[in-house]
Amino acid sequence: MNSVQRVAPNYGIDADRVLGSDTPIDALRRRVGGRYAVDEFGGDPHLTDVLALTATPLRVRVEHEENIPRTGPALLVANRGLGVIEPVVLALAVRRAAHRRLRVIGAPELPIIGPALRKIGAIGYRPDDVAALLRAGHLAAAPLSPSWMRGGGGGGWLGRPSSRETPSSVSTRGVGEPPRALLAATLGFPVIPVAVRPGGPVGLPLRPWRVVVGEPMLPPTGTESDDPLAAAEISEAVRNAVHDLLADM
Amino acid sequence: MRVLVTGMGGELGTRVAQLLEARTDVDDVAGCDFVPPRRRLHRAQFTRIDPRDHGRLTQFVVDFAPDAVAHFGVYEPHSRMAPNDAAHATESCTVHALSAAASTGRLERVVVRSGLEVYGRGRGHALVPDERAPLAPTSPYGRSCLDVESVSAALGRRLDIPVAALRYAVVAGSHVPSPLGRLLRLPVVPVPALADPPFVLLDQEDAARSMVEALVRGFDGPLNVVGPGATSPWQAVSLGNRVPMPVAGLGWSLACRTAELAGAPVPPHVLELMRYGSVGDGGRAVDELALGFMVPTQEVLADLYEWATVTPITERARSIA
Repeated sequence: MNSVQRVAPNYGIDADRVLGSDTPIDALRRRVGGRYAVDEFGGDPHLTDVLALTATPLRVRVEHEENIPRTGPALLVANRGLGVIEPVVLALAVRRAAHRRLRVIGAPELPIIGPALRKIGAIGYRPDDVAALLRAGHLAAAPLSPSWMRGGGGGGWLGRPSSRETPSSVSTRGVGEPPRALLAATLGFPVIPVAVRPGGPVGLPLRPWRVVVGEPMLPPTGTESDDPLAAAEISEAVRNAVHDLLADM
Repeated sequence: MRVLVTGMGGELGTRVAQLLEARTDVDDVAGCDFVPPRRRLHRAQFTRIDPRDHGRLTQFVVDFAPDAVAHFGVYEPHSRMAPNDAAHATESCTVHALSAAASTGRLERVVVRSGLEVYGRGRGHALVPDERAPLAPTSPYGRSCLDVESVSAALGRRLDIPVAALRYAVVAGSHVPSPLGRLLRLPVVPVPALADPPFVLLDQEDAARSMVEALVRGFDGPLNVVGPGATSPWQAVSLGNRVPMPVAGLGWSLACRTAELAGAPVPPHVLELMRYGSVGDGGRAVDELALGFMVPTQEVLADLYEWATVTPITERARSIA
């Protein structure tokens, strides 16, 4: 099992837990004075807190929120990676249910967009970076299928997707391939299947978004990190679990 | 234990010598450098030798016959030496001090200073590398550190002794000479216009402690040693009450020249840090060396801007004195 390092809050801001938010004037003072936290992965939790206020109108219903750990690392694997709203919905669900920040995997290595996404908590798709993120005690989320800009298990459009990795619909067909390389690098940390369904067709907010959180999964005790067989097994198990969650929705 | 500290004249080398002096399991401490130690030493014996003076350096090490070597003779460009001199001094000090120590037949362990620069930065490189990440330095100082690691690892294999390589983040502080420190203290600081990459710093006391622990425990292998948390160029500028100068593309070349004219030359590894960041996963060092509390990066940064207030002595006060 990997050891987990924790970092103390910086200027009263924790890179993992949501402790509270400033008034707009205090937030502005913080930014000008530089008294905000920056984490090793380029995240700026203070900026995330400020931006989270703009997502307040977004309605999200979380089911089985007790499956999201209140402390410690875990990798959430969700069924969709279609666009911009889905990671926001997932991050909001985690924020509201567990008061934690979610690090979405798959920020592209592109100028301006990549650094901007990393600033608000995304991380690039490098298995060793994701493993470092989990060792630091964070919650991360990876899509089963890649999106147009976020690399999934085998890379997004920017990372040569195969025909099987084409973004799927919200139906249970074509749930996608689990991010096996990621799972191999992060063996030993809990993997949580998550099903996300939009509130209306093509993501229209007619009803609240539904986020159903499955039970955490772990490889058998004594599994070595980077064990390809264990990664394949857990990858298959996660895919089936997400499929079952979607079927029950 | 008889410990040789190369590069004893630097802030870190001097502090390591002080920590070793205080230990009862260390019988003798000797060191050399091209400048004298920066603090008072009681038991340690210092000899002023230019690391490029092969003959004197070899003779000194052979005469002392160390059991252990704390190798700080790794010179950062534009820290205390010009880039070419630093690379030459690092190579000479590493090869001659270590081979002389090996020739005595008493050497039992070695710890060398290295840096996160050995991982390289930019597109295709890990953002937060751990010790298993591929080594692909992208700056002359990174290559110099990798050479030091290679030479010392070869020595370890030949003698079958533990050799630890401590890959430090940038060691900073109000009294530590470093090109990054000088750059960040300029009144106007160049920062990336289109990004704000994270970087980590290391407190000099933590750097010295980790060296002593690695030496005493006889650790074998590489370890990243970094302060917890991170900062970024834009944040550093805000905390230091400096004026940010956004720079992109070819503008960096002009910014580096201007900084050099202002007294803060920017070597390639510092430019790399400002443009792409410099972070490492230091969890293993904390566990293996039982480092406990380490000073967070942002406190190290705050210390960088701490200067004691200088009060000029008035004529009247001078006459009274």
